This record gives sequence, C-alpha cells and structure tokens, in this order.
Amino acid sequence: MEDPLIIAGYAIKNRFFLGTGKFASYPLMRDAIIASRAHIVTVALRRVDTQSPHDNILEYISKECIIMANTSGARNADEAIRIARIARAAGCGNWIKIEVIPDNKYLLPDNAQTIRATEVLAREGFIVMPYVNPDLADARRLCDAGAASIMPLGAPIGTNKGVCMRELIKILVQEISLPIVVDAGIGRPSHAAEAMELGAAAVLVNTAVATAQNPVLTAQAFSLAVKAGRIAYRAGVVSPKDKAEASSPLTGFLR
Amino acid sequence: MRVRINGEDLPFVSLMTVAALIAQRKILPETVVVEHNGAILARDKWEATVLKENDTLEILSFVGGG
Repeated sequence: MEDPLIIAGYAIKNRFFLGTGKFASYPLMRDAIIASRAHIVTVALRRVDTQSPHDNILEYISKECIIMANTSGARNADEAIRIARIARAAGCGNWIKIEVIPDNKYLLPDNAQTIRATEVLAREGFIVMPYVNPDLADARRLCDAGAASIMPLGAPIGTNKGVCMRELIKILVQEISLPIVVDAGIGRPSHAAEAMELGAAAVLVNTAVATAQNPVLTAQAFSLAVKAGRIAYRAGVVSPKDKAEASSPLTGFLR
Repeated sequence: MRVRINGEDLPFVSLMTVAALIAQRKILPETVVVEHNGAILARDKWEATVLKENDTLEILSFVGGG
C-alpha cells in the first residue's frame, strides 16, 4: 500500500476515522461507514436499558473495521481505566480512545488525567489513542507513557468550527513522531482537508457526518477530502505570499 | 433483598443468578458486559454467581459514540 498509515504496527487503510454517535439509526450509520470506507470506527460503552431489548450496534459494523471504544463519560483517569477494561472484556480488542472530560460546558479533555490513564492502559497492552488539548509538553509525556497516537482536538466536540487549534497542531506534527489524529470540531470536508494539509496523519469525525442532511454522502465527502489533503501534504503545496506573482511569462509581450 | 442494577435499587423476592437475570430481562448475553461489585464478571461465571443483598451490578453494552 502506498503511503500507509501505521499505528501500533497495524496498517490502517483509511486516514478518515468515523465516530458512530448521533446517527438517526444504525442502518444509516452502517451505510455511512461503508460510503466512507473508514477502517477505524469509534463506539461508546453505556448502561443497558434493562426495560427494553436493545439493538446490537456491532452487528452494523463490518468485521473489517477496527472498533475503537472510547472512554466517554470518564471524568478522571480511574474511570477511564475502568471503562477501557470493560470495553476490552466486551470483546472488541485492544484499541481504546481515552477521553477524560471533567467539563460539561466545553467538553475539553483533562490532559493530566489522560496521561495517567495512558500510562496504565499502555502497560496493560492496550493500543492507546488519547484525546487531548494540543500541548507539546503533554504530547511528549504521552509518547513516554506509551500512547500509539496523539489525538488533539481541532475545536470543542460537536462545534463544527474546524481546525481552530491550527498552529498548535502544526507544532505537534513537526515535533512528535507518533501519528497526529485531529479529533473533534471538524465541521466540513474542507476542514478535514486543512488538517491533513498541515500534516495530520488522520482525522476523526462524528457529529459533522451523523447530523448532516445526508450522512452517507457527507461521509464520502469527508473521506475524499482527507485523501486530497494528505496528497497535498505529501506534494508540498505552496505557501501564501503578500505580493502578486504573475503566472504567465513577463517577457515577449505583443506590444 | 435489594440489588443495585445500573444505578437503580431493585427488590428481589427469590435468589437469582446473573445468568437468570440476563435471560429474564431478555438481554442478549453476547452483547453485554457485566460488572459485579466493581469487578468484571466473565460470561462463564454468570451461571454460578448468585445475587446477594446489596450487590451492585452494571450491565453495559456498546452504543454509538465519537
């Protein structure tokens, strides 16, 4: 495979990762996964409603996909560790997105607690994908803690604001050798392309796909944008300049 | 006897195993994970685990999430 994305030794077939929350139905989610050809999809763990029988989300996700459980609902490292262990016991493998969120208003992650959870879970053999504020010192701590990638937020979860953390993410891309996966806040395919042009290894989107008018087409658009952005990054696209520069030769005019 | 299941205190009149509870609630066993008093309870232990007074049970499954 040309330009493969390797995470924890696994070749990931698509740099577009899809979250499965907020879809109007599981069949719609399944169709969006198929349309995007996402290889990594995230799921959450919740209490079963014991009053009514439930549909099993895993039946709607292709066996080809890597299912990465998140630790949403965790407010500290211990809760994240507990959720990760339960998720693994549920039989979905070792991939875990650590999400420690003590703040309900902006849903911003707690980096210190995330680092602590990463240390413990990496030691237990999990492939740990921590969702964090883009901070260079913390990203280095996560590398030391055994993270498999760093997943900085582009903007707060569900805001669709795009790569607001652009400059900080750029620094992570330059300084951190682990794959940088921009997670959260990506609202449009153009945002996803922008993140990839910056050198992100992948992009994780959920809300913008699940709540679009046509989630299936949107998933496809995101997947294509991620590919285009990646190719642009590899191609070394040009930087903006303040002064105009003619595209046509400035010699040999007819006059 | 009272048992706390998914955060709710529920009365039980007779002894019940975890396996029987799962069956009674029409929950598909392969779709859930059970935590019994804070520890993960492997599926092959459900049959032998009888609920006791003040036990805490969490029955969890995967849902959509980002």
